Amino acid sequence: MTYDTDLLVIGAGPAGSVAAWEAKRTAPDLDVVLLERDAVVGQPVRCAEGVGDAGLREFADPDGAPWVARKITQIVFVAPDDTEVRVAERAVAWILDRTRFDAFLAERAVALGAELRVSTEAAGMTCEPDGRWRVRLRGVMGEHYCRARVVIGADGVEAMVGRWAGLDTRVPARDMESCAQYVLAGIDFDPDSIYLQFSDRIAPGGYAWIFPKGPGVANVGLGLVALKADGRNARQYLDDWIARRYPRGAKTGCTVGGVIVHTTLRQTYTDGVLVAGDAAHMINPLSGGGIVNAMKAGRLAGRVATAAIRAGDTSASRLSAYHAGWMALLGDDHLKYYRLKRALEGLDDAFFNSLARTANAILPEQRTLGRIFAHALVRHPQLIPVAARFFL
Amino acid sequence: MLDAPDNGRYRWRMRPAPPEIAVVDLQLCDRCGLCLPLCPPEAIHLRLADLVVDRSVCTGCRKCIAPCPVGALTMVPA
Repeated sequence: MTYDTDLLVIGAGPAGSVAAWEAKRTAPDLDVVLLERDAVVGQPVRCAEGVGDAGLREFADPDGAPWVARKITQIVFVAPDDTEVRVAERAVAWILDRTRFDAFLAERAVALGAELRVSTEAAGMTCEPDGRWRVRLRGVMGEHYCRARVVIGADGVEAMVGRWAGLDTRVPARDMESCAQYVLAGIDFDPDSIYLQFSDRIAPGGYAWIFPKGPGVANVGLGLVALKADGRNARQYLDDWIARRYPRGAKTGCTVGGVIVHTTLRQTYTDGVLVAGDAAHMINPLSGGGIVNAMKAGRLAGRVATAAIRAGDTSASRLSAYHAGWMALLGDDHLKYYRLKRALEGLDDAFFNSLARTANAILPEQRTLGRIFAHALVRHPQLIPVAARFFL
Repeated sequence: MLDAPDNGRYRWRMRPAPPEIAVVDLQLCDRCGLCLPLCPPEAIHLRLADLVVDRSVCTGCRKCIAPCPVGALTMVPA
């Protein structure tokens, strides 16, 4: 069986659902199909679920929303020796309930007329002589095909759509964070703060995090670069950290996954195909955050795809507007963040311990990120080349 | 025979058979997909929600072994 559509979006995460929503918003007359491999949109959660306030508000209002788990007002950096540095800025961020949030985004696309199919996996695709893509699908309906003018690959870290379309989606090992996370209950922390701990012993090449979901309950996890690890895998590192920090915590959920801390794919488009979100390596390489980036890319992809379909030209040269738009929006910044990430890799635990002492010597109400940075440059001259690589 | 097309990018290359190749323990594997973009010859696929390593494509480079967050990938004699 084969059915035809104008736009096929593969993956109903933040990138895919926003792409489908934006496509229906800008072109209500076009057919949009949104595929999800798993049986339930938003499950399993492979995410620490933290998101910045400003970026989130471009897409949805978090105040009182059912898909919010917790409002965050403070960031606490934790040095390798457990010294805590509370930053003075009242940073607002949100910890989402991704299961509900992803369902909310998909629902919004469906409300505008997109067709959502769950339990349906893309298994391969070929380009037809007329330029349309014929995508092989497997799901509850058995094996069938969908022919589409444009395919948006929002299929996450595995990025098979890009691979099938001939894009190089591979990642060097040093730019892959191996992550593990528990939902930990019955633990003691400030539920209005997120905690980030940097240490080669705890999470080499990455960091460990505590993202509150409510009083006493948090996403507790870490990401590390396996090349720098001592032979333990990410889950073993996490078990050891939790055994030391929260031996009495109840592990009520567990997840693992990969976060690509690289720069955007050299090419995120080809004839009739766009890739967005994790699949296009659009994660902030310094923070590892990718939810808002994925939604921004999805919005852009949805717009460019519908305009191309309307114009009857879905060639790579027409779709390249998507790549240019993304690079101007965030992609070029990611090049800078990536250079900074690589420069910071050279600093060790002793440095971060002394940096924490420098920061805590500043009065708490004056301890802004800018002031910490200025003091650090004076006290730790080894930071000057790091700063130079970021700003030059 | 694997049914996902790999664009033929690596099929043409003559190489000696590797002494060891990667295998996945599906009891441990969480299907997170982390190893797929790490594989230089793109030998790893997710198929019907199960991870598959294509024995004929794996070069035994070990790049997927340590990054697996749960240690589900190991090397075995080819």
